[in-house]
Amino acid sequence: MKKVKYISLILAVIIIGSCHKLDVPPLSIISESQVFSTANGIQAYLANMYTFLPMEDFVYEPDKGFLTGDGGRWQNFYQMDAIDGEMAGPYGGVGDAAQGFGLWPYDRIRNINVLLYSLPKYASNYTQDQVNEWLGEAYFCRAYTYFALVKRYGGVPIVRTVIDPNATTASLQVPRNTEEDVYNFIGSDLDSAYNLMWEPGAGGHPAIQQGAASKYAAMAYKSRVMLFAGSIAKYGAVNYVDGDARAKGFAGGIPAGDATKFFQAAYDAAKLVEGHFSLYTGGYPDKVQNYVDVFMKPNNEQIFIRQYSLSDPQRNNDNSGPHSYDATMTCRYMTADGLSRTYPSLDYVERFGPLPIVNTDGTPTRFSDRADLMNSLEPRLLATIYFPGSTLRGLTFDVQRGIYKTFNGSAAQELSNNLNTPNDVNTNWPDTTDPGKNLLFAANSNQLYRGRRIVGLAGWNPSTGDDNTRTGLYLRKYVDYAKQQSACGLYQSAQSYIDMRYAEVLLNRAEAAFELGTLQADALGDINQLRDRAGAAPATASMTIDTIRNERCKELGFEHQYWWDIRRWRTADQVLDNRKIYALLPYYIATENKYIFLKQVEPFQRTYTFQKKWYYEPLPGGELSRNPNLFPNNPGY
Amino acid sequence: MKKIIIFGLGLLLTGVSCTKVDNYPGPDSAFQGNIIDSVTGKNLLTESQGLNIELKQLSWSDNPDPYYIPVKDDGSFQDTRIFSGHYSVIPTQGAFWPADSIVTDIKGAAAHNFTVVPYLEITNFTHVQAGDSLVMTCQISAPRTAGLPQILEVWPFVNNTPFVGSGAYISQLTISDHNSPSYNLADINSTWNNGIATTTYKVSVHGLLNGRTYYARVGVRVNDSYKKYNLSEVVQVVMPPEK
Repeated sequence: MKKVKYISLILAVIIIGSCHKLDVPPLSIISESQVFSTANGIQAYLANMYTFLPMEDFVYEPDKGFLTGDGGRWQNFYQMDAIDGEMAGPYGGVGDAAQGFGLWPYDRIRNINVLLYSLPKYASNYTQDQVNEWLGEAYFCRAYTYFALVKRYGGVPIVRTVIDPNATTASLQVPRNTEEDVYNFIGSDLDSAYNLMWEPGAGGHPAIQQGAASKYAAMAYKSRVMLFAGSIAKYGAVNYVDGDARAKGFAGGIPAGDATKFFQAAYDAAKLVEGHFSLYTGGYPDKVQNYVDVFMKPNNEQIFIRQYSLSDPQRNNDNSGPHSYDATMTCRYMTADGLSRTYPSLDYVERFGPLPIVNTDGTPTRFSDRADLMNSLEPRLLATIYFPGSTLRGLTFDVQRGIYKTFNGSAAQELSNNLNTPNDVNTNWPDTTDPGKNLLFAANSNQLYRGRRIVGLAGWNPSTGDDNTRTGLYLRKYVDYAKQQSACGLYQSAQSYIDMRYAEVLLNRAEAAFELGTLQADALGDINQLRDRAGAAPATASMTIDTIRNERCKELGFEHQYWWDIRRWRTADQVLDNRKIYALLPYYIATENKYIFLKQVEPFQRTYTFQKKWYYEPLPGGELSRNPNLFPNNPGY
Repeated sequence: MKKIIIFGLGLLLTGVSCTKVDNYPGPDSAFQGNIIDSVTGKNLLTESQGLNIELKQLSWSDNPDPYYIPVKDDGSFQDTRIFSGHYSVIPTQGAFWPADSIVTDIKGAAAHNFTVVPYLEITNFTHVQAGDSLVMTCQISAPRTAGLPQILEVWPFVNNTPFVGSGAYISQLTISDHNSPSYNLADINSTWNNGIATTTYKVSVHGLLNGRTYYARVGVRVNDSYKKYNLSEVVQVVMPPEK
């Protein structure tokens, strides 16, 4: 009896309790209304959008992607410029990274679409200007993300709405749009951003915020994107890999006749930026220091940047933690930790003209001091590269490949007689006591010949592998010269990455103007603004498209642009065709107490070859198996 | 103790229950054949990685991922681990005009020979070794000239094994760097013309070592999608004994 009483009591409690419906908002999930009904919520949402923009910044690795985690994030020498011949770096060849890493940021695109869809529902909480500004930023971020996709894959699915994940599978399998459609879509998103966003600094609106987009940033990017589209329309029409995806307009196949439309759009967009940003000249009259500070000091040339924070402990989950550029671009001898593995090529330096290292009679020019080589060079070049004999943090770039007891004859003869098998030279350390040897190398920089180091402290030093320059050169651009050596450790750098600066807008404008064929004078003016700031001689009206391209490569060197440039010009398979990278290696001549420089293939003798199918990356295999509407894959894959 | 045994048995049973038997047959078929040069009627002169056989298993999906069988350096191919099924097969990514695909069932031991039209043929190939140098000459003919892509250059390839070609050569002997004074390719850089047909191209390599046996051939490529090489046969060069 007692049992029955208890059981019925328990049952009654359960039955009555079951009538309560559990309908309270979950505490662990932030709802849409919580985010979009306050300005703080929206700004946090936007900050998240910005930090996940697929920006090829200091920590980006072309074969691994944007968030490489604690183990990869510090290795800033795994950079794009090391696969395209601009630098000699850790990659064994172009193929190490040419097929990308399967970027597919539709989760980020969805986040952006959520804001575009939901924010208008809460518009009454804000002024119309404020709502438009935020929507403009979202359009900017969406365009930015789509450009990262289209320049890799060609046409990809355009998703403008917030797709319901419970919809039918067929409707979730969004088909590929054509490459041209994607470019037009990006153009219209950037136009939307421009039209919606307010005039910074006018009508009571705040000035441009560092790290955030503005309406003029939208136009700066539009000039980049439209120039890209125009170039592949024009040059992709003659140099391509045939296949289904090309025939259907997914990868290549934009009609060459549409190039003009895109070049015009690039030019118009670049022109709109004029007057709102300017080339930095705040460090004049010293044009070298001025150019160095373009990258080190906040200034009005920087249109869109990514900022880093030393105090951010997050190294795996977002992009705002510190990076390690100072610890990884200069040899350990000058830093507190880490190592360097990537070095500017002599090929880059020769874009500025041949170096004065060989006399007219073919003999190597003698220098009393290695630093004297720099006497006649362009300020911009000196601000971009640390040459042998220059100084940083009170230390000299002591670069020396070896010692000649005596040196007779021409440079070319010496290279073909004694230096034509550099691989042997690397592994076979001559006995320095052998009186028969004229050319001395050493395994490390402690070995002395008559009290003088045989190889320099800063390279090239075989015992440290590639933690010493393989090319005789070190990168200066973006390296923080004001930092103490002890502060140059891993994750101790926070200088901003400049993703867009006004110099590029001028170069986009000049190239588009020249390609249009009717605005040569405009192009010349743009180039000469850059030349003047660089401390170079002005270009003349006989300028060609190659002059403009070379100017671009000089000005934007080591800013992760060259890879995309040779792809859109469709020249990558020619400039990277069994290509070797050259080095500028200093030697000391003992009998003369002088230095010479020899132009040699860098000691690792790596070969760089670009296959034509790499003008497009393969679509990620996982996505293809989920969505058959992505087929056909790009030609050659 | 007993408890532990029972617990262990239970764990074992739980684990066993997870195995599912895959009811698909394994890759138990084979496919082999040769790539025939339409001009010579013999196997195409090629090299490792010179071309691929591309298979698409139509019976698996409408959009099958392509599967490649690399063709061997003797112009033959063989793969003994292929799923039985209905396939579309085409030789591709080599130095020949686009070939026709075939649609076939592969089951058991299947075989097919493909005939391709090379972009170029190397004819009258000669080689002379003198001192530390090897001089090779050849002429070039084109089975089809209309629409032939730009012809780039003639390459000498020398290696110390019979596996010699664009992916296996001694890099000190073939200097393809235009900046180097030792550059030793024969540039053509032209679309097809009668001048090419009547020219004898000569390439020289220097720095061969005495006492070694080398294998050498020449290759020529055109600026198509793949930039692969049409190659000569391989010759053996036995150097005089070391002094």
